[in-house]
Amino acid sequence: MREVALDIPAGEVTAIIGESGSGKTTLAMAMLNAVQPPGRIVSGSVKYGKVGDILAMDGRQLRLVRGDHVSMMFQTAQNSLNPLKRVGSQVLDLARSHGRKDTKAVLREASDLCAQMSLNADRVLTSYQHELSGGMRQRVGIMLALVLQPAVVLLDEPTTALDVLSQSEVLQILRNLQRARRFSAVLITHDMGVVAELADRVAVMYAGQVVERGRTQQVLIDPMHPYTRALIASIPRLTGDPAEARALPGLPPALTTIPRQGCVFRARCSYHPSIADTEVPVLQDMGDGHWVACHLAGHLDDRST
Amino acid sequence: MTVIGSRVTWLDTWMIEARNITKTFAARGGGILPGEVVTALRGVSISVPDSSALALIGESGCGKTTLGRILCGLEPYDGGDLVFDGVSMNGLSPKERNAQFRRIQIIHQDPYAALNPVRTVGKTLTDPLKLRAKQIGRSASWVDERVHELLGLVGLDPEEVLSKYPHNLSGGQRQRVVVARALTVDPDILVADEAVSMIDVSLRLGILKLLNDLRARLGIAIVFITHDVAAGRYAAQGGSMAVIYRGEIFEYGTIDDVIQFPVNPYTQSLLSAVPVLTGLEQPGPDRFTPKQAMDTDRTESGCLFHGRCPFATDTCRVEHPELLPMDGTKRLSRCHYSTTRRVVARPIQAGGGVTTP
Repeated sequence: MREVALDIPAGEVTAIIGESGSGKTTLAMAMLNAVQPPGRIVSGSVKYGKVGDILAMDGRQLRLVRGDHVSMMFQTAQNSLNPLKRVGSQVLDLARSHGRKDTKAVLREASDLCAQMSLNADRVLTSYQHELSGGMRQRVGIMLALVLQPAVVLLDEPTTALDVLSQSEVLQILRNLQRARRFSAVLITHDMGVVAELADRVAVMYAGQVVERGRTQQVLIDPMHPYTRALIASIPRLTGDPAEARALPGLPPALTTIPRQGCVFRARCSYHPSIADTEVPVLQDMGDGHWVACHLAGHLDDRST
Repeated sequence: MTVIGSRVTWLDTWMIEARNITKTFAARGGGILPGEVVTALRGVSISVPDSSALALIGESGCGKTTLGRILCGLEPYDGGDLVFDGVSMNGLSPKERNAQFRRIQIIHQDPYAALNPVRTVGKTLTDPLKLRAKQIGRSASWVDERVHELLGLVGLDPEEVLSKYPHNLSGGQRQRVVVARALTVDPDILVADEAVSMIDVSLRLGILKLLNDLRARLGIAIVFITHDVAAGRYAAQGGSMAVIYRGEIFEYGTIDDVIQFPVNPYTQSLLSAVPVLTGLEQPGPDRFTPKQAMDTDRTESGCLFHGRCPFATDTCRVEHPELLPMDGTKRLSRCHYSTTRRVVARPIQAGGGVTTP
């Protein structure tokens, strides 16, 4: 990952979209200062409103920040659940480890959240994770991420493991909860449909860099980076002529094949100006908060492919 | 399948045909009472013409994967019959049956698990081709030619990939190798089970197009199993679509008809749940959500979907609907109240208008 800068506006959902290996999950882990060795954060900072730079914190401070101020919900909720403990007792563990005196209030909050997700709170809190279906576990994951009322929630592929009907419902739940509680959310996904349904803003990542960011509607309707354009054109849709969909040529770069100089996308780019071989394009503001890192930003339509 | 009046008969000839397949599994362990059986398929009939395609759509647990495995001979069935090219599998000895099943190859979901990690791409393809050469009386030089031909067919550069191991390849490349390997035995049918769900989004369309192209170029029929209706639409262009729920077909028809004019509430809920690309698309006017997104309702009485169906009536709770043709069409639907609803998002034109397909 190289010099990624991202603001997460309070009370909004910011999506980070990218393919596997694009660095989206690494970025999320960096936001929690939880990058696993051999990875490390060489430079930079992660600042949260009131808390300050969490990259400068020690383990004890970090533990308090995670959960209290920023929490994470994982793609497969069963990975964040203890298989040997009932859900309710995990909620209590969470409350105690974060020094909440009023554990009853935390439990009440947990049942509240369950009710809002149309889960039977009594049943869920007394269940082990294996007694819950996939869609229910995912909801329990949401509940655990929100129960301490953090200001920022990181959602890592929250619906990827779900069936289409459960996905639609979980998205609706997240949308309703986010509107009601106004927490800030970072949504990590590879699915443009999920971004369109949930996110106010989106940052498109490719090979460890943000290549485009802006409001979701801007980026969807008027994508300005060739990668974003190609990605949107390659989504199988339910309407329109399937023959019009274009597959992206080439392969996403692996860690070892990311070019050291020039634009990271140029090998798959249908425009590929010669300047991209040597110069790294910088993110530039195209107006109205729409940022694009491309040498041809704003001029793609003037050029034939 | 030919529809005469309200009866469905099997007059035409098909590459592959499943007639009234049933399958149950004995549940084991996991707190479920011993002796309990799980019904995976409750009398499913499908048919795929020569070099055509069928998309099997459904949620996890609906039985679509079981049906795919049965079609490939990887799983026995309890009742019904499988017919390839007019030959019934029921009447054959195991040996004869195996020879038939060679004509049907499966592409699994996970191209990481499907390839042997210590074999190069060259070896992965050469070994089955050597056997094949023996079967059809070809020389050793044919094997080499054929490896190159197959790799070219699936869109890989032989010089680049032949000496590579699976871990040197991307998910999309691996899936192409899996397809090439399936083609070594000259199959008539490919069954692709969630073949793109583990592949990077930018590479998915390429695989879908490849499967679609194979039909035109080699005359291979494709059965594409997925929960992703849009992917099914691309892989099985111009073919048919069967929507499966809890081991029963709920709707069956040509792909575009089923997507644009679904008549069954279950199909409609699946299509309603597909995310809308707001800004590029406008939600369908009749879009709705089912009563319970969670599939906890295991009721066996009446229509199997009645617990989640927002349109269910008392009839639906008691009477089990049959899969019947809609008047004057080739569409089949299993519902007491089949009716068209426009639930699929429509693209917004650059000018702001909405296209009506």
